[in-house]
Amino acid sequence: MADVSDELERPSSTLTRGGLLKKGAAGAFAVAMFGGLADKSFGFYGPLKFAHKQLAGELRIMQWAHFVPAYDQWLDNTYIKRWGEANDVEVKVDHINNALLYSTGASQVAAQSGHDLFWFISPPSTFQKQTVPVTDLVQEVSRKLGPMSRVARKSTYNPKTKQFYGFPDDYAPDPVQYRRSYLQEAGVSLNTWEDLRKGAPKLKQIGHPVGLGMSNEIDSNMLLTSLLYCYGGFIQNEENRIVIGQGANRRGAIQALTVMRDIYRNGMTDEVFAWTAASNNQAFLAGRLSVALNAISIVRSAENSGNAALSDDTFLASIPRGPVMRMGNEHVMGVFVIWKFAKNKEAARKYLVDQQLGYREHFIRSQFYNFPAWTGAIDGGFKSIRRMSAQDDHKPKGKYTILTTIAEKYTTNPGHPGNTTPVIDEIFNTYLIPQMFAEVAQGKMTPSEGVSAFARKANAIYRKWKNQGLV
Amino acid sequence: MTRRQKLTTYAVVVPFAIFLAFPFYFALVTMFKTNLDLANVENSPYVYNDPEGNFHWDFWNFATFEHVTFLFEETNYPRWLLNTALVGLAVVAITLALAMPAGYALARLAGGWGQGAGVAIFLVYLIPPTLLFLPLSRLITQLDLKDSLWSLVLIYPSFTVPFATWLLMGFFKTIPQELEDAALIDGASRLKAFAVIVLPISLPGILTVVIFAFSLCVNEFIYAFTFISSSEQRTVSAGVPNDLIRGDVFFWQSLMAAVLIPAIPLALLYNAFLDRFIKGFTGGAFR
Repeated sequence: MADVSDELERPSSTLTRGGLLKKGAAGAFAVAMFGGLADKSFGFYGPLKFAHKQLAGELRIMQWAHFVPAYDQWLDNTYIKRWGEANDVEVKVDHINNALLYSTGASQVAAQSGHDLFWFISPPSTFQKQTVPVTDLVQEVSRKLGPMSRVARKSTYNPKTKQFYGFPDDYAPDPVQYRRSYLQEAGVSLNTWEDLRKGAPKLKQIGHPVGLGMSNEIDSNMLLTSLLYCYGGFIQNEENRIVIGQGANRRGAIQALTVMRDIYRNGMTDEVFAWTAASNNQAFLAGRLSVALNAISIVRSAENSGNAALSDDTFLASIPRGPVMRMGNEHVMGVFVIWKFAKNKEAARKYLVDQQLGYREHFIRSQFYNFPAWTGAIDGGFKSIRRMSAQDDHKPKGKYTILTTIAEKYTTNPGHPGNTTPVIDEIFNTYLIPQMFAEVAQGKMTPSEGVSAFARKANAIYRKWKNQGLV
Repeated sequence: MTRRQKLTTYAVVVPFAIFLAFPFYFALVTMFKTNLDLANVENSPYVYNDPEGNFHWDFWNFATFEHVTFLFEETNYPRWLLNTALVGLAVVAITLALAMPAGYALARLAGGWGQGAGVAIFLVYLIPPTLLFLPLSRLITQLDLKDSLWSLVLIYPSFTVPFATWLLMGFFKTIPQELEDAALIDGASRLKAFAVIVLPISLPGILTVVIFAFSLCVNEFIYAFTFISSSEQRTVSAGVPNDLIRGDVFFWQSLMAAVLIPAIPLALLYNAFLDRFIKGFTGGAFR
């Protein structure tokens, strides 16, 4: 037992452990309070100076941390400085993880304060009452570059309000990525979903299962909605009314659910129900998966790993064809919004137009990830895009040319054949589609019950947004 | 302790220690791995391998500093470390300044309802930040503290002070009232009795508060992420997952380095004051 008097009588002239701690804490506290924390006085936020000139305005942008770090470095250190100097605006771009974009956007709306421009990874139509319509900007860019791509238009236009609530910046096609040697060994083709359904057990048997997520994350959302399209199980029609519970749409959705249930039971593993957006990348790069659907981050990471056996064997393909169509969602639809509470709306508007007009460099710097919302932003359109992507010197040579075909023919918006309405946005953000597929795959519901339950929830969401006048 | 007792102790402690040290070892090995070594699943993840997947005793020839260099030179990691330390120290100071008198008052002066008030204050600690970050975000905006470390210095005490008050209240209660009474009879004021008699005896409890409050600040994510959006202003807990997970791609080696570096001083701090820390949590019951 410690003696209290020992503590009280400890000599104070020597530097004890306690004394050292006290002095250190006092010093650090003083520095913290009166030095380091006074961040603004340190000039962390002082306007940058270009060519000895103080810039007049300020523009703050929030967007994702791009999976190509070099793209962000170029954007932050070269592009925005160049643009800022030309327009007398100090531009600052903050990057966040894509999974946190929506919660951060919601927090900025709650606080009615934040960035001037906010980039979302998928069309954020639920936020449209908080954004400044940019229809005039869309018209201005379209006059200069020609028509906007269909996927971009359907993602950002609200036919009810007749406004573009957000400015489409870029999109990423969503190819199938596969290990050719595994598919050859198992004798599997990826031309149709039926081919994959039949081939999945063989791939699992050779130790390389199929990797299609059924989890609460963006990749699963995009993939599974695409599967619904391929079988004609559309969630809504062209007039943006919920139709998945009716007629041919219901039958198509039931077929899609049945196919995915079969692929899961015979050719996948349980982990797909707990995946994050990065999980298919990790499993593929670890050499386990034979097939995954993702943007080109998998194949680029394989190239960067230095593992030639992996990267030389990784190929890209279009989404398999279903009985109704071959069609897939974009993997990323980059949409900028200007918040109503933005402080520098004029600079934000100018930035959006200028960026799109010069998108060629963004396409190249992003290593073909960011396709421009206006194909005409790259001289020669898809022909030029195909030529540029064919020149990529990674093996297998020419593998990126398929991206152009996918972008041109097989890419659509969430909510196809309608628009990406707030209803679709809410369905996506509450992950009702992966949940429906997961419950059917796990045998908790039959495909028919799954569609009925989903249709009820979708209709409830539709009524909510209809009451708000946005559909 | 007999030889047999020693052997039994080691038989229990050594496997446990190895188990607990394993994550640190794994992080240490991974942070110096080349991309090729890491990506090849045929390779052992616990050692460094050559391109053919073989282990060599001169393993340093098959490791790389590339990812640690990336962390320090291509990200704002040094800045995040500094920010974390500054916020942590400031919050610890505020926590002590508020919780010590509050805990003492509840222990000595509040009478019968002191215990109830102490528990009520502790319950505030249990309100999850996920409920609070939206309204607090508005508050931070109104105070013009967005993107400033001051926002964290202001908000973090909202969860460190309740816990520290509750902990110190229990600790102060274990100190014999007679010691203070003697000082008061000798002419000391209440404040002097508190400073000269109570505080030195309460050092284990205070150290517990210091370490615990600092750890909470280092670990906190939601407020750090919501209130601060510029990379150079972030703390470690928000900066690392944000800047080292890009889209679908994890920068594993840099992530491991980023986690291991602040973990080591914290582990040493816990270890240095372990005996006092345990006393603090047990409320000086054996004093």
